[in-house]
Amino acid sequence: MSSLMWYIYDFARKAWTDAFANAKTEHEIVEKPERFRDFPKVNKEYCIGCGACTVSCPSPNAIKIVREKDSEESEGMTYPVINPGACIRCGFCAEVCPTDPKTLECGLNHLILPEFNIIPSKRQYIVDDYLCIKCKKCMKKCPVDAIELVNDKLHVNQLKCISCGECLEVCPVNGAMKGVFVENLQDQKDLILLTVNYLEEYINSKEDDLRSLEQDGLLQYDVPLSEIWDEALKIIPDEEISLEIITNAVNRLKIRIIDWDESKCEKCQLCVPECPTGCITFDEDKDTIVRDKDKCLRCSICYQTCPFSVIKYFIAKFSLEDGKMIHTTVKSSNLNENIVME
Amino acid sequence: MLNAIKDAVRKSSIHVCIVNCGGCNGCDVECVALLSPRYDLEQYGIYVHNNPREADVLLLTGAVTEQWVDNLKRIYDKAPEPKIAVAVGNCPQSGDVFNQEGGHVHAPASDFIPVAAAIPGCPPRPSEILEAILAVGPQAIADRGREQE
Repeated sequence: MSSLMWYIYDFARKAWTDAFANAKTEHEIVEKPERFRDFPKVNKEYCIGCGACTVSCPSPNAIKIVREKDSEESEGMTYPVINPGACIRCGFCAEVCPTDPKTLECGLNHLILPEFNIIPSKRQYIVDDYLCIKCKKCMKKCPVDAIELVNDKLHVNQLKCISCGECLEVCPVNGAMKGVFVENLQDQKDLILLTVNYLEEYINSKEDDLRSLEQDGLLQYDVPLSEIWDEALKIIPDEEISLEIITNAVNRLKIRIIDWDESKCEKCQLCVPECPTGCITFDEDKDTIVRDKDKCLRCSICYQTCPFSVIKYFIAKFSLEDGKMIHTTVKSSNLNENIVME
Repeated sequence: MLNAIKDAVRKSSIHVCIVNCGGCNGCDVECVALLSPRYDLEQYGIYVHNNPREADVLLLTGAVTEQWVDNLKRIYDKAPEPKIAVAVGNCPQSGDVFNQEGGHVHAPASDFIPVAAAIPGCPPRPSEILEAILAVGPQAIADRGREQE
């Protein structure tokens, strides 16, 4: 009975009578919604012709990359052409398109960018699993709760981290919490290489000291950092970053120095076949032994082979405390000690 | 005079038959959505029968499979003149995602029967299907068989 009442009520309304008399669909229904992902739009001028769109496309005939004919002034453009008869409007092509701005636009998904940390920090804080003792002091100290326990390991959530550096101060293990520079890894490598080469050259230039060094003797130098400082700043212009990278590298650095006294050499060529990298060669025209420094591994095999003490082998260690002087200690290797004694 | 009356009548009553020649059903679902109150196909004088003998318009969906190669021609022959075939979706046009290397589809459908119009999309929006039928249907039906006149 009640449903009948509803029917009567509904039929009595004016809206129903209007719709009954003139049954037409409203126009909005046939319009595409604003967020509708339609066929991709091609911006020819941005295309780099990488072909990523064709590879990502699930439909075999939908995208073809075409190249226009060269004209006299310029090369013909390369760009994708969409065949609407095969395109399924999935938008994959727009998502993989690497150009910026996009060559292919399809829907809005490809405009969504990954979240990023807006803190303008040079450092990224990470936990070294190997050193971390899981005391969780950093976790308690962190003002924004960015340090989490994931799979029983402490992990810094980069989206939450505000780079305040308090975790670094509170960490009781040296090196377990690291504030690393992640943006310029290749530059950092170049900087370390520059420092190491400079130190090696400096020690090699003190030939007389090295050759007169006693078996148990020790050489000490203060190598000024200022000589490579300008060059270092050319690689990484930021003084703070450069100094920290050099300090970290130098304090852990232990290099092996090879001194080659040619006057003692008798050209026996025993060292030539022993060298694992083949960096020692015999120059027949000039009648000398040539050592290629860049290939040399500093493995000390030649030193142990040479019967005439042409080659000397030293270990050098460094420390950089104040950011100006690199304290260097050089001592001769004790590898051959027993043999010499005999 | 007679032609004018015929055209006027046919324009207000277009009978369609959905022919799924081996597709994924997506386009068929969109065609069914047209029948729903939201789009209300019949207000435009379009009626859906699943019987080619009553149809003026064949809505082809699907990428013609092996079995449909012969049956498609038979169905087309059974529809009375004047008749047109409309390819709905990408499959009857290009084979779409089914037309992979080593696949067994025989797209496009126009290899077997004359196709008057094609609606791109995978699937096309119901409004696009409606638009294509209304835009192409009456004129194409009227033109059929009158080329000599």
